[in-house]
This record gives sequence, C-alpha cells and structure tokens, in this order.
Amino acid sequence: MSGSPLKYSIPAIFLILACLAGCDNKPTYPAARLEESILKLCKNEYNLDNVKVKIIGSSLGVYIPVEGLIDPDMKLNQKAGEKIENTALSIHRVTTSTDMPLKFYVLTARDTKTPGAEFMLTGFVYDVVRVRLFDISRGEYFQRILRDFRFNPSIAGEQKVKELFGALNQDPAIADSIKQVLYPIYAVGKAGTQKINITSMESKDLSDHESLIYVKTIEEYEPAPGFEAHAAIFPSGFVNEYLFLIDMSLLISPVKEIVSKYFYSNNEIRQRNIKDTFEGYKDLGIVGSDGFPKKELELGWFLGQQIARRIKPLFENDSKLKDKLKIASSGGEIKDSVFRFKFSAAPAANPSVDKNIIFSRIIKMTADVLHSYTFDGYEGAEFMDTAEGGKKIYLSKEELENFRKNKITLDSLEFQ
Amino acid sequence: MAFMTYRKLKMHFMEHWVKIVVGITIVILIILSIWGLASLESFYRHLTIAQMPISILLAGLNAGIFVFMYMIFLQGGFSKIRQTTVKGQNVNIHWQDVIGMEEAKQEALEVVQLIKDRTKLLKIGGKILRGLLMVGPPGCGKTYLAKAIATEAGIPFISMSGSEFTEIFVGVGAARVRKLFKKARTLAYGNGAAIIFIDELDAIGRQRSFSFMGGGQETNSTQNQLLVEMDGLQEKDYNVIIIGATNAAEGVLDEALLRPGRFDRKIYIDRPNLQEREKIFEYYLKKIKYVPDIDIGRLARQAVHKSPAEIENMIKEAALIATRNKKEIVGHKELSEAMERIDMGMKHRKQMTKEEKEMVAFHETGHLVVMYILHPTDDVFKASIISRKEALGVVHAQPREELYTHNRERILADIKVKIGGYVAEKMRFGTTSDGVSSDFRGAMWFAHNMVWKIGMGDSGYIGDYTVIPESQLSETVKEKLNAETNKIMQDCLKDVESLLKKEWPLVERFVKELLEKEELEYDDIEAIFREYGKSHNFKKPE
Repeated sequence: MSGSPLKYSIPAIFLILACLAGCDNKPTYPAARLEESILKLCKNEYNLDNVKVKIIGSSLGVYIPVEGLIDPDMKLNQKAGEKIENTALSIHRVTTSTDMPLKFYVLTARDTKTPGAEFMLTGFVYDVVRVRLFDISRGEYFQRILRDFRFNPSIAGEQKVKELFGALNQDPAIADSIKQVLYPIYAVGKAGTQKINITSMESKDLSDHESLIYVKTIEEYEPAPGFEAHAAIFPSGFVNEYLFLIDMSLLISPVKEIVSKYFYSNNEIRQRNIKDTFEGYKDLGIVGSDGFPKKELELGWFLGQQIARRIKPLFENDSKLKDKLKIASSGGEIKDSVFRFKFSAAPAANPSVDKNIIFSRIIKMTADVLHSYTFDGYEGAEFMDTAEGGKKIYLSKEELENFRKNKITLDSLEFQ
Repeated sequence: MAFMTYRKLKMHFMEHWVKIVVGITIVILIILSIWGLASLESFYRHLTIAQMPISILLAGLNAGIFVFMYMIFLQGGFSKIRQTTVKGQNVNIHWQDVIGMEEAKQEALEVVQLIKDRTKLLKIGGKILRGLLMVGPPGCGKTYLAKAIATEAGIPFISMSGSEFTEIFVGVGAARVRKLFKKARTLAYGNGAAIIFIDELDAIGRQRSFSFMGGGQETNSTQNQLLVEMDGLQEKDYNVIIIGATNAAEGVLDEALLRPGRFDRKIYIDRPNLQEREKIFEYYLKKIKYVPDIDIGRLARQAVHKSPAEIENMIKEAALIATRNKKEIVGHKELSEAMERIDMGMKHRKQMTKEEKEMVAFHETGHLVVMYILHPTDDVFKASIISRKEALGVVHAQPREELYTHNRERILADIKVKIGGYVAEKMRFGTTSDGVSSDFRGAMWFAHNMVWKIGMGDSGYIGDYTVIPESQLSETVKEKLNAETNKIMQDCLKDVESLLKKEWPLVERFVKELLEKEELEYDDIEAIFREYGKSHNFKKPE
C-alpha cells in the first residue's frame, strides 16, 4: 500500500536531472556573438567604453585604451589596473562560457598619454577553466599568465619617426644635420621650401626594443639654384620611401639608422628597393599597432615564453638558493620544434654554488610545465647559461620526461 | 457526486497534507533551481550539473545517516508504529472464504448491513454500531472475519496490534491511539466509513490497575485514550467502527471498554464443530492435490478441538511432507504424519534396549486396550513406541465428537486408561517403570477433583472442598475425602487388572505388532480388535 520510497524517488531524481540537462545545452556566449558579448559585458557590468575585440583564429584579442597607465613612480596606475582587471574578468567569463574553440587571449591596455606604453596579458583559456575548477592553484595560474609591461617598439618607433618629420618641417637646423640622409630634397631644394608629408607607415618589431619602420612620403620643394634640372627627376610632390631603425633602449638618440630610397653615389643618383628590404625582415612582435595579436598564437611559443619567465622566480622563491645566486636574464623560444632557453646565472655571494643545481632545477621545472600542458609538439629542449660562456645542454623529449620522473639525473647527460 | 468528490479531495488533503506541502515545496524549489541554473553562465551551469549526481548521492547518504542516528538514539530503534491501512476492496477476503464459523459469520453479516445502512438506521432512530468485539481462541479466524467485514462493507481498514500501543514511555501509547483515530476519522470523512481493527485488544484493554507506585500507568493512559476516542466518535458523528479481537477471557478486559456504546456487540468465535471442520478440510484440501479416497469425515473427527489455523497448518505440513517424499500428490500417509507431528511432535528414535522397548510396548498396549474397550467417548487413532519429545511411546486418542462436559463414567475411563500402562507393565514384568509418572499424575488429578471438587465420590460428601481454606477443613473430612480418592484409584486399578487379565492374549498380540511395526494406524488397530471380537464401548449419542 505504502510502496517503497525508492519506487518514486529514483525516477524523480532522473526527471530532475533530465530537466536540468535540458536547460544546459546553450552556451551563454555563442560564437556568433562573441565579440558583441564581450563589449556588452564590459559596457554593462564594468562600465568600460572604447573596448575593441578581434578574433584571430583561436586567439582572442582585446584592446582597451587607458589614460595614464603608469604612475610617476613607474607603477601601474590604480584606475588603469582596475580597468585591466575588469576586462580580464570579462574575457574569462566569456571564454569559459562560449562554444567557440578559443585557445588564447591577449589583452592589451595601451596608454593614450604615453605612446607605446602598454600592458599585455596573455593567457591560455584552458588554464582559466582549470583555476576555476580548482584543478590548479591561483599561484600556479598567475605563473602561467604572461604579463608584459613595456614600450611597444613599433608604436614608439612610429612615434619617433613622426616626431622627426615634424621637427624637420619646423626646424631647418635639424634638417641640415641629416640632409645627407634624407635625399634628395634637402640636397637639391631651396632652404625653407622643403616639406615632407607622411602618407603611410609600416613597422616591424625586431626585438623587444628595436623596430623597423617603413615610411612612404610625399615631398614638396623648390629647387635650389643650380639644381633646377633635378625637378625633372624629382618633381615637387614626388613619392619617396625611407626605412628607420629605431632602438628605444637608446634613450638619447633612438633613431639608429635611416635609409632613403634615393641616394647619390659616384656622381649619379641611385635608388634602393626599400619595400623589399622591409619585407625581408621578420616581425617578432606579438601585438600590432592596432593592439591586437598580429597572428594566431601557438602553444609552443606560449610555453617557451612562460618557462623563460618562470626561471627567475624559481630561484628567488627558493629559500636556500635565493641569496646564493641571481638570474640576471632569461629568455625562451621554440624554433624548429626545439625549445631554446637562455639564462644568465651569476653567483651572488658564494661562488661555490654548483651550477648543475641551476640546470637541474630549470630542466625539472621545464619538464613539469610541459607535462602539465601535455604538450608534445616539440622534439627537445636546449638550456644555455650565457654567463658560463655558453655552457649548454640538450635533452630530447624522452629524456625530459625521464628527468621529470627522476629516472635520469644531470650526471648521465652531457654538456656541450 | 461532486460533493463526494470534493469531500474525497478534502480527505486526501487532510490525510496527506504534510506530503502535499512537502511535494509542492520540492517542486517550487526545483523550479527555482532550474531558473537559477538557467541564469548562470554556461560554465557554472555545467559545473553545477556535473556535480549534481554526486551531490544527490551525498545528500542521500547524509539523510540516511541522520535518519539512522535519529531512529537509534531518539526513537528507540526501528520499532516505530506502522499502521497498516488498506482499502476495503483491496483486502480481498470474501464471505465465501470465511468458513467454519457459521454463527459468527451471520452475526458479522449483520454488522456489515448495519455499517452499510447507517443512514437508514439513523432515520428510524436505531443505535449506531460503534464497536465489535471478537472473542475466541487463537487461530479461529477473528482477523480473517474482520477482513471479510471490511471487504464486504467496502470501506478502508486500519489494522493494528494492541502491543503496538505499548511503550516504555508514558503517553506514547495514548498518542498513538489519538493518531490512529484521527487517521480513521479522515478516512471515514472521505469514504463514508472506516474500520479500525485492533488485534490482541487485551494488550491495552486489560482491567486498569491503580497503584500508588504508578505501575501500569502507561497501559491505563492508553486505555483511557481509547475510551475517550470511542466516545468521541459519537460526538463528532464519524462512521468509524472499531473491531477488537482477543483470545483472553471476557473478564480480563476492562468493564468500561465493554459497556454499551463502546464494544456494543460481541461475537464469540469458537473452534469449529465436526461439520465445520469438514468444510475447513474441504476448503484447504482444494488448494492442494490429494488422493480422492481421503475420508474427510474421519479427518474432521480426528481433528477434534483443532482451530482452522491448525487445520490449515496440518494440510500445509502434509504438502511439505509429500514434496520431501518426492510425491506429487498428498495421500493418507502424509496427512496422518502431518497430524501426528502437530499433535505429538516430531519422531526421534532413541536407542533403547530390547527389554526397555518391550516394557514400553506393554505400557502403551495397556493404554490402548483399556481405551478401546472401556472408554465411552474416545477413539484410538494411533499407537506407537517411537519416542517423541519426552515420551517413549504414545497412544493417540480423540473424542469422536465435541463433548463439552465430562461425566463420571468418562472421567473414570480416563483414570483407567492412564492406569492401564502401569497394570500392563506389572502384569508382564512383575515390576514397573517411572514411565507411569505422568499417567499417575493425571489419574490422581482426575480422582482428586472427582472427590474434592465435583461431588463424584461415594462417601456422601458433595461440594467443592478446595474453596474452603485448608485450616478450616477438619482432619476427618480430609481423611475421608482422601480415602475416597484412593478408593476410586483402587477400584479403577482392580477393573483394569481384571480387564487386562481377561484380554491378555489381545495384549500380547498388540505388543507383538508394536514391536514389529513400531506404529499401528487406526485401521490396523480396528482390524486386530475385530479379529478378537472386540468393539468400542461407545455410548450412543442421544
């Protein structure tokens, strides 16, 4: 009469689960409206305007302009920090609740007051999921994010070029000093009649501080007496091209080199193929002048960067080693399926620190990171200590895995 | 129609309001949960739903542990009251299934009519039936009859045992009575009437005891509540009928419980008579396969004083024996063995010496011959020298018919049958065994009662001398009464001695048969007596 409670409760539980499963089939931020979703979220929930979004393959680029990124004490401005944090939160929410197969996100916050000053946050979407599921700790998560606070070489370079041309137009004295370079209008033009207008500009990052700028100009002038014949070759309003090599690490004179399309040599006017030269250089920059990634990011590149950035804190956080040695610099990349890590480890106080410990720690950390990402798109990894005259060691993928499992030690490997 | 539907709906609400409220709350919570989940971002929605199965399992486990601990520590284990409520039509026991209690059945039928025609009865100013008490020995079908009443009346039936009300804590029993009646009233509200059946009513209906130490307070309070509830019915005019069943004598129950207005009607359900037993045998035999030549009349005679439950048990036991013996059909042998097991217990052969076995054979033959020739009412169905329980042998006899009184001749015959074993041993071996102990106890009890209690002595003393305090009885009277008792014993002894002396060849023949076969069935016994020209000393019924 009364019946078993299980008779009713089990179907009821299944019914509830079926109902819940039924309402679960739609992503909150569908792929078709992903960009719009981020903009709405930023606007409605965090009151962030001027946010721009672009999807490049499996990478999501988000750009926000901020006014005053850096305080005079060279720290991140609090308001700018809040903006970045809220935008990052929006990105996390959207990337974890969408059906678009995104792998990476790049958030670029660029200072509107200081050209080239930018803060970049690059992350792997699956890391966001894992930290939200408590699969990795927050500390580990922060180590997995690439945070760059820098001057964008291209932006800064372009700015320097604009400043230079502005100065040329306004101050003939400056023009005189470089008139041999900016051929031909300062060589054949009447003083004070020269005017250069930039029509287009392209840039490439050659390193984290160097940039190559390709500039196209329209130049107006009046020929100086004796140079009237040049007007036939270079009529006023002719198109010229230049290449500028800018090094922002050179604070006083960052313009390292200027190459003009036309030049005078051996009593004749010659020209170079500037555009081809520019195209021949490889752009090593991640973010373009528009604030978005220049291309789709790859896990190999991301891991190379991440591991390189982990090297320094690896020793700084080690209570036994932190006072004994110092990592001056570290870098990493993946080239031809091989990770190459360079670092400069110098003993701080006690010169008797075994350098093998440094290699051993770095290799172990690398193997752990690669294992945690289950990344197998590489053949091996090379570790080089630049402070030791380029002492390096190469481990294949299998050796790295065996090192991680403590099946082999550094003693069984050979340094090169 | 609509009114009744409304009342039924209201009744269901009254009965199940807790379940309904809990159910609605759960549904609302589920809707809110789904709503809440739908408003979550899909990542958190997935996360929550993925965790749900394990959460449900853990919640179930926690609830289980909580209930277990609660039951163990706060409710005195899992012995919580369990009322069995069934709808009348679901009881499914009909009048035709009630057999072997024709008179009780008639009275019960009247009760059913009263329940059905309640409105009619009220119109003519008749008294509404409140309670029905069924009294009788165990296994005679009181519960069965109550169920049949529920089926025929087609009303809900709540069954509880009196012992379910008794608790160590004062007030628990009374609370259970209140709860039971509340439920019955709710059912009566929706169905027109309801029956509460309290089995073993004597557990709470015994005469109340009033002790300054507070003993029996729980039983008293339970019974008081029962009395109040039974009166309360009249005030609220709910058609709830209480059927109580007890096998305790009527005097055991509290007078307040038996007064009109509570248990108005009493039905005595006694053991079935011969005709009823025959019907019962027929009914239960129909349920099994049995050989067609089974004499149901003889089975019924053999089962004198057996209750329907015992008869049912007997048939089931016979079917079990047949199965064990790899037979597909129940025969005489299985029925006889089943009856024997129930009456005399299981056989267990003891290792006895030849002399011992012979002495047992003479002892049992003594009983058998005296019983067959001298007893005016009892018939011998079996004689055996296979040990059962404590007895080394047995002579199984039953009255040929229901006799509710014992006359002098019958009692004297009983004494003689009991002495028969002793005399046979003495005549054959010149000595006797301690196997006569229980026989003598029985014989002496009969003789003593004849003289001291029921005025069957020859000395002229009549009356029940046991009611007189021993100190007030003179030594002369005692001596005379005891002498009279002894005289009865001696007279019986002489009669038995002369009988067995006369029938000694018959005795030896039975001993020989018993030693050979160990057991003699009714037909074997009859055949031997007829061979010697002997017949029963039965008194013809008037």
